[in-house]
Amino acid sequence: MIARLVVLVQIALRNLFASFINFIIGGIILVGTCTTVVGGGMLDSLDRSMSRSVIGSVAGHVQIYSTKSKDELALFGGMTGGDPELAAMTDFAKVKTALETLPNVKTVVPMGVSGALITSGNTVDLVLARLRDLYKVRDGKNVNPDLADLSGPALTEQIAAQKAHVRQIVNVLKGDYTKAKVLLKKDTEETREGEEALARVSDDGFWAGFDTDPYGSLEYLENRIAPLVTDSDLLFIRYAGTNLDTFQQSFDRMRVIDGQKVPEGHRGFLIAKFFYENNMKLKNARRLDQIKEALDEGNNRVIKGDPVLERLVKENQAQTRDVILQLDGIKTAQVIAALQKLLKTEQTDFAELLTSFFTTDDQNFRERYDFFYKEIAPKLQLYRVKVGDSLTIKAFTKSGYVQSVNVKVYGTFSFEGLEKSPLAGSMCLMDLMSFRDLYGYLTTDKLEEMKALKAGAQAKEVSREHAEDDLFGGGDVVEAQATAGVIDDKAQLSGTGQAMHQEDLVKRVYSREEIENGVVLNAAVMLKDPARLKQTIADINALSEKDGLSIKAVSWQDAAGLLGQFILVAKLVLFFFVGVIFVVAMVIINNAMMMATLQRTQTIGTMRAIGAQRSFVLTMVLVETLVLGLVFGVLGMGLGTGFMSYLGSHGINATTDIMYFFFSGPKLLPTLSAGNLIAALVIILVVSSLSTLIPAVIATRVSPLRAMQTDE
Amino acid sequence: MSPKTLLAAVLVLAASARAADPTKEELVGMLKTIDDRQRNGGDYKALIYLEQKEKEKADIVREVIVYRRDESDQLMFLFTKPKSEEGKGYLRINKNLWSYDPGTGKWERTTERERIGGTNSQRRDFDESRLAEEFDPTFEANEKLGKFDVIRVSLAAKPGVDVPYPVIKLWIDPTNSNELKRQELALSGRLMRTTYYPKWNKIYSASKKGDVWFPGEIRIFDEVEKSNQTLVLFKNVDLNPLDGNMFTKAWLESKSR
Repeated sequence: MIARLVVLVQIALRNLFASFINFIIGGIILVGTCTTVVGGGMLDSLDRSMSRSVIGSVAGHVQIYSTKSKDELALFGGMTGGDPELAAMTDFAKVKTALETLPNVKTVVPMGVSGALITSGNTVDLVLARLRDLYKVRDGKNVNPDLADLSGPALTEQIAAQKAHVRQIVNVLKGDYTKAKVLLKKDTEETREGEEALARVSDDGFWAGFDTDPYGSLEYLENRIAPLVTDSDLLFIRYAGTNLDTFQQSFDRMRVIDGQKVPEGHRGFLIAKFFYENNMKLKNARRLDQIKEALDEGNNRVIKGDPVLERLVKENQAQTRDVILQLDGIKTAQVIAALQKLLKTEQTDFAELLTSFFTTDDQNFRERYDFFYKEIAPKLQLYRVKVGDSLTIKAFTKSGYVQSVNVKVYGTFSFEGLEKSPLAGSMCLMDLMSFRDLYGYLTTDKLEEMKALKAGAQAKEVSREHAEDDLFGGGDVVEAQATAGVIDDKAQLSGTGQAMHQEDLVKRVYSREEIENGVVLNAAVMLKDPARLKQTIADINALSEKDGLSIKAVSWQDAAGLLGQFILVAKLVLFFFVGVIFVVAMVIINNAMMMATLQRTQTIGTMRAIGAQRSFVLTMVLVETLVLGLVFGVLGMGLGTGFMSYLGSHGINATTDIMYFFFSGPKLLPTLSAGNLIAALVIILVVSSLSTLIPAVIATRVSPLRAMQTDE
Repeated sequence: MSPKTLLAAVLVLAASARAADPTKEELVGMLKTIDDRQRNGGDYKALIYLEQKEKEKADIVREVIVYRRDESDQLMFLFTKPKSEEGKGYLRINKNLWSYDPGTGKWERTTERERIGGTNSQRRDFDESRLAEEFDPTFEANEKLGKFDVIRVSLAAKPGVDVPYPVIKLWIDPTNSNELKRQELALSGRLMRTTYYPKWNKIYSASKKGDVWFPGEIRIFDEVEKSNQTLVLFKNVDLNPLDGNMFTKAWLESKSR
């Protein structure tokens, strides 16, 4: 048997390069194997890097959520684009205790993902709100925990600085109105009202009497001056409410960049660094950063001719107002003097000077960038929210009403390797207590209170469809004489509801039990051995059924929503692509082998005439193809391995934001496993053998007589 | 009856029907009546029950006190119930509508379309009525609303007047100028809200030396989110003078301190 095989292999080797057709077949096998090796290796590498991104940033290995949820969990957004509707897990502590009995569960991190709009008001609103808070501190009515320690000369100084700032803004607005009147010939009732208000607050008398009635003066400014500025913006912020202590320990790629971690058991907020830089930084400064980052990339990128960088320069030239409105009179004078010196000009118009300053090109950019951060930035508030400030987040609760909380921003953070990824860098972190306040889960007490109020109103139910008949169908008299009553405000207010003490909330330390005994929407389960993921998911689901936990466990890939399906889709595309290659290959190999078999009719007939059995001929053809597949397959594998090793050493750059997340960093360094190589070889040998079956059978049917006749 | 007589009869009937349609002046007169009835010369305070129904959500229930001083065009809301909403409020000063949350101590300038307390009601549902001042009326049709014979009037915002909805349709009982139904349309023509006023209450006001009218009940149906509806019940109205300087941020803040 072995001797026969040796003979067959010798024949195959001898015939390997005997025919040109073999080169064609070999070439196809080579390309097919190379593609399979590279494609398989790339997908496995992507799968690994993406799992690092998803598992390391927010998902953990397994996610659990309530089986009563309307939608499936999608941490990065689902098909509808919005957040999925998840039912609350009302007793997280019980779930956690139960899950931690499973041998492969390391820890369970409670979570809830939501989003809210942050409205900050315009620049004047912000300055006036600050001034109002300072006066409240002066009058012992402070509600802002950030100002709790302010008093004495420091307080007086801050009040004076804020007032000077307001006066500077008024000067700028007056200038705007004069220009608008001259240039646009704008003279409407609205502009006249604006002018009148500006004239009043420009008067020294207004400021001389400011301190006698600061709140009245502030209301005038807030209602008549602030609406003249229209630079307020809305910011959508996405956050995960979690036990910050456990989160920080479990997701070890998380790094605090500015500030500090939220102290154990405290309420607090950590802003994702990427989001902080891109959405909360002064736009002029951010544009300068973006230009610098582009020039530092090292791809010989220059401003001139680069549409993106030229656009950033133009935007900086045109949009100087944020800078102008941020500076008070003294700081404005200082910056003007510095700019005049730098630009060697005697121009005194601040807006003109800033426009000239922001007119950056490849020659002056670095000098201007350094100047901005050295001379101008220290006088500005570079970020809308500073580390250490309180951030007010207003969200619609699950029950539909609006709820706001103040959370102290302790710092910014990012996940190592994902610093530039918008997907990983857009989710901020919030303590679970604040998250629960915003989520507004209706407790039994709250529901009872609502029920009592409703019962007291004794209102009848009216449906949309029957409204007109129900309300006017009876022909009842619409008018009624009522008696005026007396409404006692104090009696209506219980005095217990909103008596929240912000300072106390900020300082309060919650125990682990307090944090974990309550509502959460989902939770990340970290495993001791991630390789046993599938088994652990099955264990969790079985435990849930047994103990009535009403939870469902899903892998990180399923929890990632659409994003998690990316690899699956990519695999399907690759399989389709490889499938098409191999179907084409099979047809070509089949035809080529047919031709080769027909060309060898005489040889095969002679072999049959001298005693070769049909089975020998069949095996011979098959072995020839297998040897051909093996030789060119190995060559293809070598080529694929070489290519992958080149990619592995040089890396593939992430050119888009989404690639950055998939690559789990700025570069993907793909690797190849033995599995990829073996799979490719097996596939190629099976395909080669299958495509040779018909020609091999035809070869067995060649009769010696026919071979001799042909010879005649 | 000859064809000529029949034609003459039809023409006479048509002419008399046209004559029954209110003129523009009459319509403006009706709007003025609606506005004047609700205006009070002095101060006004109302205890209001708000209920919001939304699909697959528990009903939102609120109690709020609305303060009004028509003379100086001032308005304020103070939420009193439930406990979680206590101390929240709105304050209108000139064209600014501020919302206040004692939980954060922050004031925020909101828009005319702000949903009061998360319901479909808006500031204008509780404020002084200014239909005649802000809109031009046009008669549209005679209609039936339940058992009531009403006229449908279309109101278009006057040029330069800033209103949340530029087109309003009103269903008015012409016999007593009672507004029974209202529809508000966006600039695009899209219907936004349908509101019913099934009860109008009146109270004698010493400062006005006449009756002040207020809707005893308002039913608002959201036409965008069809499953949303709001019920507004005026539980009590107090016409006693209010504190002199209460329409301030400081006053509202003091209620939750």
